[in-house]
Amino acid sequence: MMKWLHRVAQASVTLLIVVAIANLLVGVFLRYFVGAITDYLDLDPVPYVWVEEVGEMALAWLTLLGAAIGVRQRSHFTLHVWVHTWSAGAQRAMEIAHHLLIAGFGVAVAWYGWRLSRLNFDLTSPGLQINMMWLYASSVVGGVLLTIYALSMVISPSAEQTEGH
Amino acid sequence: MTLLWVALVFVVLILLSMPIVFSLGLAGLFGLWHGGYPMQQLSSALVSGSQSWVLLAIPAFVFAGGLMERCGMSHALVEFARALVGWVRGGLGMSVIVVAYFFSDICGSKMAEVSALGSSLMPPLTTAGYKKEDSASLIAAGTAMGMLVPPAIFMIVISQVTNTSAVALFVAGFIPAAVIMLCLMCLVYWRARRLGWPVDARPSLSRLGQAGMKAAIPLVVPVVILSGFVMGIITATEAGAVVAGYALVVSRLVYRNVSWTEMARIAYDSAILTAAVVFMLAVASIFQYLMGVSGAPKVLAEMLQPLQSHQELFLFGTALISMLFGMILEGLPAAVVLIPVVFPIAEQMGINPIHFNIVQTAAVGIGLFLPPMGVGLLMALKFGNLTVAQHFRTYVPYLAALMFGLSLIIVFPDIALTLPRSVGLVR
Repeated sequence: MMKWLHRVAQASVTLLIVVAIANLLVGVFLRYFVGAITDYLDLDPVPYVWVEEVGEMALAWLTLLGAAIGVRQRSHFTLHVWVHTWSAGAQRAMEIAHHLLIAGFGVAVAWYGWRLSRLNFDLTSPGLQINMMWLYASSVVGGVLLTIYALSMVISPSAEQTEGH
Repeated sequence: MTLLWVALVFVVLILLSMPIVFSLGLAGLFGLWHGGYPMQQLSSALVSGSQSWVLLAIPAFVFAGGLMERCGMSHALVEFARALVGWVRGGLGMSVIVVAYFFSDICGSKMAEVSALGSSLMPPLTTAGYKKEDSASLIAAGTAMGMLVPPAIFMIVISQVTNTSAVALFVAGFIPAAVIMLCLMCLVYWRARRLGWPVDARPSLSRLGQAGMKAAIPLVVPVVILSGFVMGIITATEAGAVVAGYALVVSRLVYRNVSWTEMARIAYDSAILTAAVVFMLAVASIFQYLMGVSGAPKVLAEMLQPLQSHQELFLFGTALISMLFGMILEGLPAAVVLIPVVFPIAEQMGINPIHFNIVQTAAVGIGLFLPPMGVGLLMALKFGNLTVAQHFRTYVPYLAALMFGLSLIIVFPDIALTLPRSVGLVR
């Protein structure tokens, strides 16, 4: 179940970054090439306001999903000053405490995200007329995923990985 | 009062090895609750902090950098730099610095850069007879300088938190980086003469030409970025898109050594890195909210009032703090926690925002490579199997050169401002 969820999450962020970059390229193309052609031919300009909306929404989703996956991959930067000198058992206990706190943080993000989505239920975006709920839903899904990954680290931790900033 | 508690929670969590971003998040959550502020701020900050057009440049540049590195462009740059300056005394050492300058151009992430440079330069340096302490120092100092060469993730982030133009900051970075590069080159030349470092054979014109041809592919990137910015036709985000598109095209048509599966892997890794960076910014915006509602910047500004007439002193002071932040907490937390606090003060003092950002960028860059715990330095040392203590004595002059370069940038704002001013990006 967890494996399956992890695959879906990984595929989603990969797809999201591809969409984000492709969308930027389409935006550049519309603004500089198509824009120049329509200007020259004196046609109505092709709108590209939606490019911004798609890009921003993709980044919000990418960030919240990717940050959750990052918990399992240990890609979030951590300072090692003291805890690594403790006994293995104490270190493990500390790690469990951390991930329980992160899980709690995830619950809060999802819960308040849910309330926020409901608040924004009757707003639509100006370019694409997308219900704004879909934007805020990223924090609901991200929060839930954060909780799941944090709990998975409590049950069966993944191996240590160096962070790559 | 709430802020003090928040700071306390933050510090305690960090010291207990909670990942920094969650230390920030939990402290912020605690602050919202303790201060009786609307809790919806939490999710709202996360979404609105990550839903940003400017920050979209990050995935584009990170992906482009990952792909170009995978194609082997760093090797082409190394070869070219060796052909260019390798025949001078200490030339190989100098070429490390030159490569770091240009490689920063195609590589968005510092750690990726250290490992790419470390793996491709350590062997030739060792073969040529350089001590590994010097090799590691060259790589560390060069990459620290490269922090100022656009496109850097840090620059995008800092321009977002200070609400200044990323394009202006990018354009402003080229000359200060070159100034620090010059300081490092002088040091290398001096050491080379004193320690009798070897000289490469003078390259034939054809070899130089061949190396130049190969390096031309990655070198198109800075040219495109700079000319696009100078002509004022593209934004930082669009530049990211263009570079990513370019990387894709050359990897498929010219290099042809990256399969689609590998490319998906690079995309995935870039996504996770992007998420970590943007998430940090988004979480920190809870802090900025708390800071704003509690009026902390005003109090701080009053505290620092006496410094009002000493801009340089203020810049030295903040640069020093940024450096320590960069060393202890890695670059980004410095940008998202420290900069929002000190930036308004700098503005009030009449320091040019772009100058301020360049100074802080350089300082954080040096901080990442500051002993005893800068993450970049530790990574560079891994390639030489060195400990901080073994390395320190050799590293001191390099650090001194970096600091000297930084001082020049602080004292002479024109180093940073001339280029963006000449193209009308800064008043």
